[in-house]
Amino acid sequence: MKLNRQFSRLLNGWMILSIGIVLLILFPNISILINFFTQETSNWDHIKTHILPLLIQNTSIIMIFTGFFTIMIGTSLAWLVSAYDFPFKRFFQWGLILPLAIPPYIAAYTYNGMLNYTGVIQTGLRNQFNIQVDQRYFDIMTLPGSIFIFTLFLYPYVYMITRAFLANQSAALIENAKMLGSNSFEIFFRVVMPISRGAIVGGVSLVLLEVLNDYGVVQYFGIPTFSTAIFQTWFGMGDLNAAIKLSATLMFIVFFILIVEKFLRGRKRYSYTAARVRPLTPIRLTGWRAWSVFAYAGIIFALAFLIPVIQLVDWMVLTYDKMIDPVFLSLIFNSLFVALAGAAMIVIFAVIVANFARTQQNWLSKASTRTIILGYSIPGAVIAVGIITVFIQIDELLFGIYEAIGLDPTLILSTSLFMLISAFVIRFLAVGFNAIESGFDKTGIKFSEASRTLGMSMTKTFFKVDVHLIKGAIFSGFILSFIEIMKELPLTLILRPFNFDTLSTKAFQYASDEQIHEASLPSIIIIVLSGIAIYFFHHVVEKEPD
Amino acid sequence: MYIQIKELSFSYGRSQKPIINNFNLEIAKGDIVSILGESGSGKSTILRLICGLETPVCGSISINKQMMSDGRHCILPEKRSIGMMFQDYALFPHMSVADNVQFGLKHKSRKDKRKRVDQVLELVNMSDFRNRYPHELSGGQQQRIALARSLAPEPSLLLMDEPFSNLDADLQIKIRNELRDIIKATGTTSIFVTHDREDARAIADRIITMREGSAYEWDSLCTIDDLTEPALVD
Repeated sequence: MKLNRQFSRLLNGWMILSIGIVLLILFPNISILINFFTQETSNWDHIKTHILPLLIQNTSIIMIFTGFFTIMIGTSLAWLVSAYDFPFKRFFQWGLILPLAIPPYIAAYTYNGMLNYTGVIQTGLRNQFNIQVDQRYFDIMTLPGSIFIFTLFLYPYVYMITRAFLANQSAALIENAKMLGSNSFEIFFRVVMPISRGAIVGGVSLVLLEVLNDYGVVQYFGIPTFSTAIFQTWFGMGDLNAAIKLSATLMFIVFFILIVEKFLRGRKRYSYTAARVRPLTPIRLTGWRAWSVFAYAGIIFALAFLIPVIQLVDWMVLTYDKMIDPVFLSLIFNSLFVALAGAAMIVIFAVIVANFARTQQNWLSKASTRTIILGYSIPGAVIAVGIITVFIQIDELLFGIYEAIGLDPTLILSTSLFMLISAFVIRFLAVGFNAIESGFDKTGIKFSEASRTLGMSMTKTFFKVDVHLIKGAIFSGFILSFIEIMKELPLTLILRPFNFDTLSTKAFQYASDEQIHEASLPSIIIIVLSGIAIYFFHHVVEKEPD
Repeated sequence: MYIQIKELSFSYGRSQKPIINNFNLEIAKGDIVSILGESGSGKSTILRLICGLETPVCGSISINKQMMSDGRHCILPEKRSIGMMFQDYALFPHMSVADNVQFGLKHKSRKDKRKRVDQVLELVNMSDFRNRYPHELSGGQQQRIALARSLAPEPSLLLMDEPFSNLDADLQIKIRNELRDIIKATGTTSIFVTHDREDARAIADRIITMREGSAYEWDSLCTIDDLTEPALVD
């Protein structure tokens, strides 16, 4: 009786919509897991014995080394920036996040363009100094090359999270260690690294999930991994079933990472919520120490942002006049259209679930938020496979209706833009959701409760009160998901309707067709938009007192 | 009795220790009752249960013979017409004073709404501030607006959660006498929660103490410090 009453109290439009949204995210993923256990095809047999070991080997090597190097670079930079003052530190604080504005696939072909035989480095050496280099040392299209790219362009995840942790949490421990006479190196390895473990694990698991999600880098470099194999079995062999099995295997790896993350993070909690947060007071470095720290941060910034951007601008200057034509404008229009539509849907869905979750603290709302976060961990190629199987099934169910309204009973939904946008929503809902949830957290529940006691229903309260109070968070969520969709590659490549190109797919296509100069303009547009968003969120927003 | 609360119990989560345990209370129409208790004694939770922001595990609440909550149904907070004044006032920061006060007025013409807003602003002596925003008011002024906002829809019951906790000590003494006069002038039945004995004595017709989730009653005419052994209600 009690349960029944609780349920009827919960049962309102917000809950029903939230459940609907959560199911939308779950369906494609579940359909993959279920189909993993269906009949094996001969292709799968072949893949399993001849290709899968190689995929697992490559993926593991890339993950282990990228993980190691991003931890080293990200944590050391976070520590230097938090604990010391050195030249241009204020710039580096947020400048070191900027590499995130460059999607790894763009970095991959930019670096290859710089380093190959006709690139600026080798031609410079040949023409100016008459030096012929051994090509082996300048070939970046290798497994180590991909680790280099992933490390440089993904380390900011570790840097960002660790820096936030060190800035707020660590002062007492580190100052104690100093007073006990530890030197800087000891402090870094024996105090900073262990106490920031939670933050580091959080950052590096984001890096690893990005690595698993990547299609552009490994495809361009010709390294077989899960993403490329999923594409190949599907488009090359036309075997959706085998693609599903590969996707499911990849999903198990993702779950494994998430479980390990939870385990590594959850056992000990190194945070002091009870104590008043006191920021770490930085020590001013002078002389060679100051300049060597500056040089370290400067080199990373140059390699991971400045140099590739200068190269792309150089190529853009060579080509922009013949690039800008109606076809290119349509690319911009397409990109803007899918990103705006996707971000709008994400924000609406995120607001619905976040509002439901904060008003009803129960297992259902907890499960809903977990599911949404999960969507962000699933690699693009897997979501693509999942969503296309679901959409084909929906189309088949609707054949009768298509005929009844005078349409050909063909695949309508599963060849439409709607499918692509739904996929974006599934993959990036977490991005918008996190922004909006933190907005709700900041304003708290009291205004909504005040409104309820003044006679407004939950929905009226939402429109009259809540929306006004979380405007900023809604805007943040919108911009962040907009940028993610603009940068996105694998989902767009797989699910776009025939002849539909966006800035990212076209840039990748140009680069793959050895038209590297033509790839620069769309790449620059993507980088500039993402860069503005990063500047805005990490420079402007962080400075605000609240 | 106008308000009847019977055998009310509440806990967060099933296995948790009950915060409210077999709580009983009856209030006559027009009375001001104070619930006095230490922090964590569950006194704020009583208010949240009465206005419907929490659902009780068992027990019943009725106001003016209308059942608000019992074993079978539980009326939503917006349908109860109970006014609540929150501890930190919760004035909507994006609305002016007049909009805040008007917020709870429904089913009225624009003219009537304006009239009612003028009326309650006058009651709390804040007529000159109708176009200000909450952040432009002092703590005491915000408190009066919060009172005006909860009184505007003519609630059948007014709840106040630690109404003086955000005020300076001198202001507190001045305002609590004013508050009693205003509430008595409207004849609104009220329950207010406090940890301060002096507040309770200054305002209330009756004082209830909360201890481990149950209610004990004192006669407010006695000196509270004399009463070490409270008598159990019922």
